[in-house]
Amino acid sequence: MRSSSRSGPISGLLRLPEEAATAGIGRLGNVRWSLLLVALMLAVVGAATVHSASAEMPVEYLGRQLAWVGAGLIVFLVVFSIDYQRLALLALPLYASGVALLVLVLFFGQVRGGARSWFGFGPLGVQPSEVAKLATAILLAQYLAGREGEYLRPREIFVAVGIVLLPMGLIVVEPDLGGALMFMPMLAAMVLVAGVRKRDLVVAAAAALVVAAIGWGFMHGYQRDRVLTFLNPQRDPLGAGYQVRQSKIAVGSGELAGRGYMQGTQSQLRFLPARHTDYIFAVLAEEWGFLGVAFVLLLFGSFLFGCAEVAARARDRLGMLLAVGFFATFAFHILYNTGMVVGLAPNSGIPLPFLSYGGSFMLFCFAAAGLVLGVDFRRYVNR
Amino acid sequence: MANLVRTRERRETMATRVRVLAVIVGVCLAVVAGAYWVVQGVHGPEYRELADNNRLRRFPIRAPRGIVFDRDGRPLAENVPSYNLLLEPDTSINVDKSLDFAAAILDTEPQQLRELLVAHRRERPVEPALIAENLTLAQVARFELAALEHPEFEVDVQQLRLYRHREQTAHVLGYLAEAGPGDLATGSYKRGDLIGRRGVESQFEGALRGADGERVVVVDSRGRAVDEFRRNAPRAGTNLQLAIDLDLQQTAQRMLQDKVGAVVALDPRNGAILAMASAPSYDPNLFARRLRPDDWVRLQTDPLHPLQNRSVQNALSPGSTFKIVMGLAGLSEHVVTPDTRFFCPGSAVFYNRRFRCWKPEGHGSVDLRLAIKHSCDVYFYNVGQRLGIERIARYARLFGFGSITGVDVPGEKAGLVPDAAWSQRTRKGPWYPGETISVAIGQGPLLVTPLQMAVMMAAVANGGRRPTPHVAETGGPGRAMAQGIPDWAWRPVREGLQAVVDSGTGHASYVPGLEIGGKTGTVQVVAQHTRIKANQMAFEQRDHAWFVSFAPVDDPQLVVAVFIEHGGAGSQAAAPVAKGIYEEFLKKRPDLRAAPPT
Repeated sequence: MRSSSRSGPISGLLRLPEEAATAGIGRLGNVRWSLLLVALMLAVVGAATVHSASAEMPVEYLGRQLAWVGAGLIVFLVVFSIDYQRLALLALPLYASGVALLVLVLFFGQVRGGARSWFGFGPLGVQPSEVAKLATAILLAQYLAGREGEYLRPREIFVAVGIVLLPMGLIVVEPDLGGALMFMPMLAAMVLVAGVRKRDLVVAAAAALVVAAIGWGFMHGYQRDRVLTFLNPQRDPLGAGYQVRQSKIAVGSGELAGRGYMQGTQSQLRFLPARHTDYIFAVLAEEWGFLGVAFVLLLFGSFLFGCAEVAARARDRLGMLLAVGFFATFAFHILYNTGMVVGLAPNSGIPLPFLSYGGSFMLFCFAAAGLVLGVDFRRYVNR
Repeated sequence: MANLVRTRERRETMATRVRVLAVIVGVCLAVVAGAYWVVQGVHGPEYRELADNNRLRRFPIRAPRGIVFDRDGRPLAENVPSYNLLLEPDTSINVDKSLDFAAAILDTEPQQLRELLVAHRRERPVEPALIAENLTLAQVARFELAALEHPEFEVDVQQLRLYRHREQTAHVLGYLAEAGPGDLATGSYKRGDLIGRRGVESQFEGALRGADGERVVVVDSRGRAVDEFRRNAPRAGTNLQLAIDLDLQQTAQRMLQDKVGAVVALDPRNGAILAMASAPSYDPNLFARRLRPDDWVRLQTDPLHPLQNRSVQNALSPGSTFKIVMGLAGLSEHVVTPDTRFFCPGSAVFYNRRFRCWKPEGHGSVDLRLAIKHSCDVYFYNVGQRLGIERIARYARLFGFGSITGVDVPGEKAGLVPDAAWSQRTRKGPWYPGETISVAIGQGPLLVTPLQMAVMMAAVANGGRRPTPHVAETGGPGRAMAQGIPDWAWRPVREGLQAVVDSGTGHASYVPGLEIGGKTGTVQVVAQHTRIKANQMAFEQRDHAWFVSFAPVDDPQLVVAVFIEHGGAGSQAAAPVAKGIYEEFLKKRPDLRAAPPT
């Protein structure tokens, strides 16, 4: 049987009786709006923390961050209003544009943080990798939704991996290993949910290990340093270990109740690097203590469970896979970033959704949230 | 329909997989939350301390150490500014580049600086590392100019202890060194503190040191001070005036040049030590530089022990100088009178053993004055036999031998006054009467320090008052010697001592216009059966030379004790040293010069 998006009459039969009763009328009331509310709460917390983190910086980032949040809301509304099934029809051209942007950025992009990953427009900049991530998620979901078997065939898995590997490879070349890595959870979650045989899973895991081993050989010196430093933080406390150590000191010194807003010595005296972007959570942990950390982690938890719930109750495979893809992407960003800040994961340029300062990623997060809620909104649509 | 059912089942399966994923993510989130709890809740206080270590820098404000002056107010130990280079590696972006930069200015190898840095990091990981001392002002300027590009360097102004007269005052003053583990254990010293070692620096450490202050500042990640957190002012050390007379001290040290030995010059009226010299000497300024361990090793392993203060730490046989004590004891105990005569044929037999006089042809018939003047051994053998060891020991102790003088110079030795009880206690055997004969001329187990010798001579000069010697200007009058020596006994002995210098064995110390009383001594290092000249013998087999003296005889104001290790005869090696000191003394006190004989 084909995916419902391609065969409207049959898809109507798929609806469950109780869902049918509420179909059409008052649909907006049944959307999981709490997801957006939580996202906005996180964005407010993030803006306040960015303000504190940039207090000693030459640039005040609060205004810009709020502008990005506003832009994010607009992007959210636009994406929310687009039917994801129509979007899926455009999956291939979108994907091709994303890849093209990634190629262009290698030649015309600006170097930031050692990676040629930005298109600059005056003071603003756009990271094409975030655009490519969106497009890749849509194409991947569209492709996997169209598979018919109970389990994916190896050949289909290869195609799925291929879809992801192309933009990933281009991002690795920039080089932005952390950014490239963010494609993996999306791929893994979608493929797993779409269905994989245990045998294939084992083979894929083994293949991933081999690739990782080969990847190690191609890594840049600083990337290896980061991994080794993570495995042994005492290895080079003055070099690659500096960020990890300072971050942990900031987090720990927050103790239970925190040092107080704008009172964190690690942040305000500039011991903490990248404190308005990748290490924003360390500033929060220092100034608000474990209570603040627990509050924000609960917000993240409820956001993630919201995404998962949307996926679980999505109308079709496409919607479910889309929601799962973004659920996994959010989950990985959140887990990796908060884990990195507390010293559980190696230092990498992976921002925290809705909190870290940064335009492109903020827009990506709101776009992803729009897609997820769009899936939820259209779970009763009869077309 | 079958397809529909299958599709619906598939959807349910997929929804289940989503929920499983959600649970896995939830568990991961809980693990992360747990990690934050461990870091913030459990180890929070430790991290807060680390954060404070990050932001608070403690800078000791060194208390200026008390200045040491001589009796005329001339500085002997003072403080001069010294510029040291500190490196804070945490602040450096690239330590290698920082070291290259510093090495170029310091005109040294980066590798050398790196070794200093590594050694420092091992010992004191959190403090800035001291990598160079005593920068020139030009070097200081270059580091200050580069302060923005190289905030990791800091030029630190330290007060460096300067001993202006270097080797000449080394043993009196001692030196400063970094506090060791034992000092740190007392709790009053921190790592890197300097502490007085030896001499006055050690003896008066408490007063000289003062109390360090502290400045605590808040710094940012670049090490720039953004705020002062706290400041405790230091308390300066107390200045110290010594009894030492720099001119006499320098003369004494100069007279000892190329010799091994000690000189003590003191005022017999109050025990004030005007000069205390020991040779070979060392430059105490070397110790104030912390980065030069090789000098320390060299001084430690020198076979002549330049660090030793021979004035108080060398206990040796007094030789013939002990005859002064013997003469006074003989008179006081009435075993001889000033006119008692003994015949010296060049040797005499006691207890079936022949004891030689130093003069093989003999002195003929000698009374006490002549015996002292010519240092006749046979005369004092007889006195010794008549006194016996117990009475000799009693008088020796009366003059301060066998116990420390109580001088305010650390490391003093007590020496040894032997008697029968000592023999039983230490040697587990009886005292042999023949040994008494040896002790009578200052040989045998009897051991004295040059300072004890000077104190003895001060007592003789004072007519029995034995002062407590001191280098700091705080001494009191000497103690009266209660028991013992009748007033009439002093005169014949002093006359003998004056004759020694005027025309006897100590004539090499004769200074025109100054009446000096003295006594030479020569201590045999190896038994000699054939007499050969000192300069033909190996250094370590040559005799030790003594000369102890006071002047003016009628109104004694200066005692000079000279000891020359392996110098040969006291008359030739030691007496001229004393002469140099008396000449210098006369320059300062021309009033003491007697009117030239008319």
